[in-house]
Amino acid sequence: MHNHTSRQWMITHEWMVKPMHQTEWIEKRGLLVWLAEVFSALGTGLYLIAIFVDNWWGALIGYLIVVFLKLPLHLLYLGKPLRFWRTMPPFSGAWRTSWIARGVVFSVSFSIFGFAQLVTSFFLTQSDMLAGLLPNIDMLLGQLHNIIYVADIILKVIAGIFVILTGIYCGFMMSYCKSVPFWNTGMLPVVILNAGIADGLALMMATGLFTGGVDFHILEHASRLVLGINAILLGTYLLSASYQSITAELSVKELLVGRVALIFWLGIVLFGIVIPLIISFTTMFTGMATELLIAGIICHTAGAFALKYCILKVGIYKPILPKSIVY
Amino acid sequence: MRWGMVIDLVKCTRCHACVAACRIEHFLPLHVTWPRLIALETDVGGKPELTTFPVRCNQCKEAPCVEVCPTEATTKRADGIVVIDTNKCIGCRYCVIACPYQNRTFISKDKDPGYFPGYDLTGFEKKGIELYPHQVGTTEKCNFCAERIDAGMAKGLVPGKDRDATPACVNTCQARAMTFGDLDDPDSEVSVLIRERKGFTLQPEYGTEPSVYYVDGKIGGKESNIAPENARTGSYIQYLSTVDIESKKRIDGLAEE
Repeated sequence: MHNHTSRQWMITHEWMVKPMHQTEWIEKRGLLVWLAEVFSALGTGLYLIAIFVDNWWGALIGYLIVVFLKLPLHLLYLGKPLRFWRTMPPFSGAWRTSWIARGVVFSVSFSIFGFAQLVTSFFLTQSDMLAGLLPNIDMLLGQLHNIIYVADIILKVIAGIFVILTGIYCGFMMSYCKSVPFWNTGMLPVVILNAGIADGLALMMATGLFTGGVDFHILEHASRLVLGINAILLGTYLLSASYQSITAELSVKELLVGRVALIFWLGIVLFGIVIPLIISFTTMFTGMATELLIAGIICHTAGAFALKYCILKVGIYKPILPKSIVY
Repeated sequence: MRWGMVIDLVKCTRCHACVAACRIEHFLPLHVTWPRLIALETDVGGKPELTTFPVRCNQCKEAPCVEVCPTEATTKRADGIVVIDTNKCIGCRYCVIACPYQNRTFISKDKDPGYFPGYDLTGFEKKGIELYPHQVGTTEKCNFCAERIDAGMAKGLVPGKDRDATPACVNTCQARAMTFGDLDDPDSEVSVLIRERKGFTLQPEYGTEPSVYYVDGKIGGKESNIAPENARTGSYIQYLSTVDIESKKRIDGLAEE
């Protein structure tokens, strides 16, 4: 009706009369939330896969992505970042209801247990080297080895649980918002977690190219399976959202044929699912080719960025007033 | 006790006095608005209508913003008013997104450039900073003028009846479109209005149980949701301003009368 001017408080708003996009978490400084969520998926996925295949370097990189990229980006987004401690118990009991508060607890717990797990795993993998460097502690290491081995398994379980929670809480955080019908579904956290695992598999292969000690065939098999599940989950999510409500249907239309359609089809479908799947199936017949593997990993990671961007970008608020001719 | 508000859509003349009163009462930064007037245009059977909905924080009984706040900066008082402790707010904007009514505002630097950028603060602005400081990087919203209610009740005044204990927007409404009172009291003016004039809330399907009700509005574009044609209210003027030339002639006729 009116353009925003310096006297905008005296205009009649078309606020929430038509479907309105959420901008807080995707525009201007909100881009930090998008990046943080991408690194959250990449870091937690990589760490989870790395502890499964027992690859220390993968776990380290995954840990570093979460602690030094995801968390700082989330903190930078806050209006008052120095107050972030207020989200944690015992300073706040908000974790009982707030997914952000829970996410902070999960992330901090993962930071602590993940670090401890990396230390114990380092000792286990490098104990021979340490014994060679410091012969005097050889006896001590031998005695400690069994204790550290048990501790490592326990820490892997605990850190593994917290890394899953860290990877999935973003999905719950969004799905809790009734105001955005496209997000307000139980499928979203599952889609995000599964996509994170697929990202983790791709990054694990990338790590393996540099560090070795990775069975690419197993990872490729797992990748095929997870990518297939990813495609089914995404399709089901969009299909169910399209008849969940008019507003959610609008979000789906924006994804498929609207203003983010190019990013959806190119980024998510082609780069994120189709090309990695084709490469993955090709390797079944032609054997592992490093060039193809690198191409697949790059495409997959681009898909991870596109997925979070699209989901955040098409978050549309349900209008306050019932449907009328205005939309 | 649960404070609530009833807004009569027929009486509202879209004069923006409530918005201005709130701005003055809370010394709001330049680009921050707690209450809003939103416009709904409908065109049913070639009869276009423009209805104004005064909206503000609904002080929901089951407030999503309270639940999602990660620092417990947003809390609900015993009298049902949802308040924000800006000293605890971390500016995550989760509440802004979770609010189904979009009645919360994050104060960023561009929203608070000062009323006269490049000049010294006016006396009014200085007083505002002293009395009602607004923190950049936090979220704010309407609080039903909780400070007025508290101060008034401490003097034994009754919110909704005594001006000094009643929200500024209600006091200033020249059309008397807003009524304030206790929703838990079945004999209060607001309860009677809701009961007798079929008060409704916005988006009841969310189960948030808002404390702001509307009367005399049939939203959804069935029949006229504004003033009856013989009532010369501001809403009627709005209605006429959107219809065909014949109607414009009628409004000219009205002006001549």
